Amino acid sequence: MTTMAEPVVRVHARSRRWLEELVSPGGLFVSAIVILALFPVTSIIRDPDFWWHLRAGQLIVDHGALLGTDPFTYTVSSHAWTMHEWLSEVFFAVVQRAGGLGPIVLILSVVTWIGIVCILLRAALRAPNRFVLGLGVLLGVIAGYPIWGPRVQMVTFCFSALTLLLVERHLVRGGRAIWLLVPLFLVWSNLHSGFIIGLGFIAVVIVAELAGRRLGMPDNASSSRVRALIPVLVACAVVSMINPNGPGILLYAFQTQTSAAQQALILEWHSPDFHDWNVLPFGIMLVSLVALITVNRRLRARDAALVLVTAALALQSVRHIALFVAAATPVWINQADLLLRRRRGRAVQRRPGAMPPLRLRVLTFAALAVTLFAAFVAGRLVPAMRAQPGSLAYAQEFPVCATRWLATAPRPLNIFNQYGEGGFLSYQLSSRGDKVFVFGDAALMGDALLYRYAAVEAVQPSWESIIRSAGTDIVLFDTGTPLANVMAHSTRWVNVYHDPLSVAFVPVDKQSALNLPPAPASYPPGDPCSQLKVASSVNGGTQNP
Amino acid sequence: MSAMRVVPTGELERERRAARRTRFTWIAGAALLTLALTVQPFRDTDVWWHLALGQLITTHGIPAHEPFSFLPAAYPWVGQQWLYEVLLAGLVGAGGAALASAVMGAVAVVALVVAALAVPRTARVGGVWLAIGILLSGLVMAQVVGVRGQVISLAGVAAVLFVIARWREGRTGFVWLLPALFLVWANMHAGFIVGLAILALALPLARALAPATAIARKPLAAALGLSLLATLINPAGIALYGYVAETFMNPTITQVVTEWMSPDFHNVWVQLFEAEAILLVVLWVIGGGPDRFDAVLAVAALAATLQAQRNISLFALIAVPQIALYGSRAWRLRIAPRLRARRTATAPRAASLIAVAAITAVAAAVATTVVPRLTSSASAAFESSRYPKAAADYVAAHFARDRLYTADSWGGYLAFRFPEGRVVFLYDETAIFGSAALQRYLDVHLLRKDWATVLSSESVHHAIVGDNSQEAAAFHEIGWTIDCHDATSGSLVMTAPTMAPSKVSSPLAVPTTAATAC
Repeated sequence: MTTMAEPVVRVHARSRRWLEELVSPGGLFVSAIVILALFPVTSIIRDPDFWWHLRAGQLIVDHGALLGTDPFTYTVSSHAWTMHEWLSEVFFAVVQRAGGLGPIVLILSVVTWIGIVCILLRAALRAPNRFVLGLGVLLGVIAGYPIWGPRVQMVTFCFSALTLLLVERHLVRGGRAIWLLVPLFLVWSNLHSGFIIGLGFIAVVIVAELAGRRLGMPDNASSSRVRALIPVLVACAVVSMINPNGPGILLYAFQTQTSAAQQALILEWHSPDFHDWNVLPFGIMLVSLVALITVNRRLRARDAALVLVTAALALQSVRHIALFVAAATPVWINQADLLLRRRRGRAVQRRPGAMPPLRLRVLTFAALAVTLFAAFVAGRLVPAMRAQPGSLAYAQEFPVCATRWLATAPRPLNIFNQYGEGGFLSYQLSSRGDKVFVFGDAALMGDALLYRYAAVEAVQPSWESIIRSAGTDIVLFDTGTPLANVMAHSTRWVNVYHDPLSVAFVPVDKQSALNLPPAPASYPPGDPCSQLKVASSVNGGTQNP
Repeated sequence: MSAMRVVPTGELERERRAARRTRFTWIAGAALLTLALTVQPFRDTDVWWHLALGQLITTHGIPAHEPFSFLPAAYPWVGQQWLYEVLLAGLVGAGGAALASAVMGAVAVVALVVAALAVPRTARVGGVWLAIGILLSGLVMAQVVGVRGQVISLAGVAAVLFVIARWREGRTGFVWLLPALFLVWANMHAGFIVGLAILALALPLARALAPATAIARKPLAAALGLSLLATLINPAGIALYGYVAETFMNPTITQVVTEWMSPDFHNVWVQLFEAEAILLVVLWVIGGGPDRFDAVLAVAALAATLQAQRNISLFALIAVPQIALYGSRAWRLRIAPRLRARRTATAPRAASLIAVAAITAVAAAVATTVVPRLTSSASAAFESSRYPKAAADYVAAHFARDRLYTADSWGGYLAFRFPEGRVVFLYDETAIFGSAALQRYLDVHLLRKDWATVLSSESVHHAIVGDNSQEAAAFHEIGWTIDCHDATSGSLVMTAPTMAPSKVSSPLAVPTTAATAC
């Protein structure tokens, strides 16, 4: 005869088991990795596109409607603007007005971290060895290092990881939680066009499981659970169309993949450079995964398909490394765990040593967690949240000092700018009426403008005619770039501003008409622009964002 | 009691001969088709300075110092490809560019065939799979073969793989071919290092291919040692290894030479490599798993390719026997049992006739593709379109002894056109030049802060540059003028002003009239 106390006893026993596992050596290791993962995903905002998203969000809020065309450029202001991230932009604007950039940094960092936790939870569904679990997550975090940072793309990373978690959980355990994907996609399709990746993942899993069953691959999910994913996929696709752009949003996401200009000209769309130390961990993860699969020769169809697709995407464009990490990290963990089990199966099992008392282990865990978290908050989070757009941290990444000078110009200017700085310039100067040549919404810019911009950046013979024919008043570019180094020798252009990061030129025949103020000779002590001189000379120069 | 098929000895021998003929037909057909990919005009920009060196060595011996550039090279000249260069000069002297293209194309095909024959004999891999391996890898490496020293190394690697396969079958005698191979290889191309690395991997990792075969590691170890010593028999001696180390470890090289950069997976040829790598892994998994030596070799080649796209050809070559072996195995394990195709026996005579007809058709098709490339007019047209021939003719007529700037990709061609007088800025023999000279070149090519100063300090007053290049636009801003336009190759001859210009009043305008043609 069961009593009322028995469920309570069961819950208590379960909680104790969970606690035992958490404070075991393996649990400590995993917990430490989970907290340490906060470090690389938290930083100041380095994404050059953030700034135009923020400004666009401010304009949406002010006007109470989406913008039909872009208000930032003097080149493509007639192009129709598909505001596919309008909800993110509004969110940024509202939060920034309420609390500055700090909360945005916090929220985007947490979103990224949640994605990493989803990866861990998905891997944990197969109960791997805890050390392997922690090691795999650590490898995934390091492999994704080139991409981490507060940026809208992390929403897609997080939601992709969450989608894969829910799908895997459904295939392993069943249940109705899979239908949580529907409201997820409703929100996702209004936050970022990367929702198409999520749809793609679900479709890949369905096709892979159906094909894997026919090919006799191991560990297939039950066909009823696989079939149950089809209506979920359809529902997610349908709700994705509930956005201001309607069904067209589905096609928009493919534009970037099919745009030759974007693939060729935008750095993030380039293939990874394995000479870059930041990218090497991704290469190590990829090659080690191939080696593990080869040794084990036991791979589920859906794992194989996800690894193949995301590896191909990541090799094509470095920005897709995050998707590879989301999809392939649990596969890496599973394969490493398989190898470990096979080796342990052959080895003589050693009796585990006696563990310290539970209370001591809980105290150790708490001390470790608090110490790591405190180090993160003090050393990483707070400095990142406190940095403001005019601070030295941002001045080293974006043309803070140059925009401060440009803001003193007597009239609005058409600025030929560096591609990665168009967003920041738009954020800082568009309210004055200043316009830029190009900014980071490449689909809006169009291939024709991108090619024209690239011809100028590469200093092809047509560089000057492109600049002038667009109606440019001033060229603002990074110091030390080929364009800047050529314009310094040109007798038709005059240097009107220079700081360690940026240099500006105007046409000689327009100089008097523009009546620009002189460039500041010095800055007050403590001003970020005076520190920029010192910091840059110590660092040996600046890098383009 | 199970039924046994008793086959008369004569019929058995006929079946074996028929199987061999079929295998040969497939391999020959694939080799012929691959010839259409490997016979290339002088597409590799380095061929010219190798040719110039070959001609120089033939008349004056191996130079002690870099002979073509006015930049001071950091290291003494290492004639690490002297034998290849002399042979190249001999081929061009005997039959022009066409003969060199034909011979090097054939060498690449031989490399693929030899690699295919490195499959274990006991595996009984059919001709179809050997052909698939040859064709697929031929396609993958098509962009990086042609008239270049690397093809020699591909042949060397294929030979090493073949020897290792025979050694694993218990035929130890083959290993004694290695020292002679490396003696020649080390004088033709620095890629012999890869051959030594493969042997070093095989020593601990390779297992016998047949269960009853005992593998003798000592002879291979001895052959490896002798091969190592044989590589020292070259004009530079042990300094050859320093040269190789400098090439691999100089980070500036990846800034100058595209081939040393990571692959661009937007490129359809690189995507073919990607597809082949994926296919190989799939075949490993469904074919019962790779042998550990094969796995380590292929994964190492994959990692090397991710570092430098020039290693695509190495991966493709290593993949040839593995695709054939594991593809054949996977077919037998997974696909063949599901097929219920009726096999109708073809009469041996009819099979032979079909084989001959197929080979003839393939050969004819390949000939129609390859032969037009080998005419002297085709070679000349290729040279004029790919290299600044007319611009160089103009320079030869007007400022033959003056220093010239050009991009490194054309530097080799100018070294060939102007082998005397040290007028060339730089070409892609990067290990000899060293970092200082490379950075000097990059200062101009990448238009760094002191680009104009470098030109004046090196007394460079003339340039052959691309008509759409950043150098053309930049030089114009400091008063350089256009002497002529070589429209065929898209190049300009430009000259510095004799006095500092007062003003450059308009942007660069590339002339298009016949009067301004080189």
